[in-house]
Amino acid sequence: MTKGVLLFCFDTAEVQYHRILERCVSLIKRNLQLEITVVTNFETFKQLKPLGFINYKFIEPELGNTKNGAEWRNVDRHMAYELSPYDVTLVMDIDYFPFTNNLRQFLNTDYDFLVSKDAHDLTNVGSFNMRKWSMIDMVWATVLIFKKGPNARRVFDTVKYVKQYYHYFNEMYRIRANNFRNDYAFAIALQQANGFATYDTMPLSIATLPPRCRVIKMTNTGIAWQYDDHINYTEHQDVHVLNKELVDV
Amino acid sequence: MDIGELKKQSDLSYDIAVAKRNALEKAHSRLVVVYNEHIFRADAETICLVRTLKETADRFFVLDTNQNPVEITDPAGFLQTLIERNQEAISSYHQMSKTFGKRGD
Repeated sequence: MTKGVLLFCFDTAEVQYHRILERCVSLIKRNLQLEITVVTNFETFKQLKPLGFINYKFIEPELGNTKNGAEWRNVDRHMAYELSPYDVTLVMDIDYFPFTNNLRQFLNTDYDFLVSKDAHDLTNVGSFNMRKWSMIDMVWATVLIFKKGPNARRVFDTVKYVKQYYHYFNEMYRIRANNFRNDYAFAIALQQANGFATYDTMPLSIATLPPRCRVIKMTNTGIAWQYDDHINYTEHQDVHVLNKELVDV
Repeated sequence: MDIGELKKQSDLSYDIAVAKRNALEKAHSRLVVVYNEHIFRADAETICLVRTLKETADRFFVLDTNQNPVEITDPAGFLQTLIERNQEAISSYHQMSKTFGKRGD
């Protein structure tokens, strides 16, 4: 059974995502030691420094989504099932930095689809109580694991359906954000595909640095950040970084 | 103590509290362990349950983190895995906690 990591990376006018990808790939190789496939476009690919053995799949990203007024090329995650060359796939945001091998073990379960529902705010500000912003529990599509088969296929087919009628679902679930978010698309799809009942999750709280938090140093083992006048750090802990200015660190 | 010193101490205490909370969360993440294709927490409750059941049977059933039943056919191996992961996570937390007191020195 083949196992690997699938990453999506598209530069925008505002953010050089390829530089974030370079750091993420380095940590995956070091800590997860899994084969990697990057879904990208040729313009982004041209900017990448040599990353060693990596598979690439080229697509033209769907445009039109925005976040805080800037272009946000996040809409293609629903194609992960078709794009992944692996039997078991770990899909990760490229701004999720695996400083441990924690995620590797989840590729060895008998679950067909796993995603986390919780995030841990490393700044202690409590930015991620998402439940009050919609009528549905949000999942964090930052990290998801799926095993190819009818169950995972059903989830991704439902995500495609949700995406197609996202405006309707957005209104129905009274989601405050108007832009397309994979977190909600997957949350809605999982609820719909599982008969509006519970579904299996990954019991991890995704350690996250919120957008207003500035990364001041990043090494192979950890990350330091500044929030207001407080500086803190963590080592050997996977971290999701929402402030894209980290490319300049 | 002047107000400047009080603010300094308060900020330091806050930073230590956040660091402790993050270190504990890191330990909780590390306590999650996959065994026999199912997900468990290598916490005190699971370890005690497995140890207790191991004393009464060679094979038994437990629930994973998604409340799915799993048959354990090698209780000793499972217990060993749980204890190793538990001590790895808590030991790391212990190492980290020793640095809290040094902050501000």
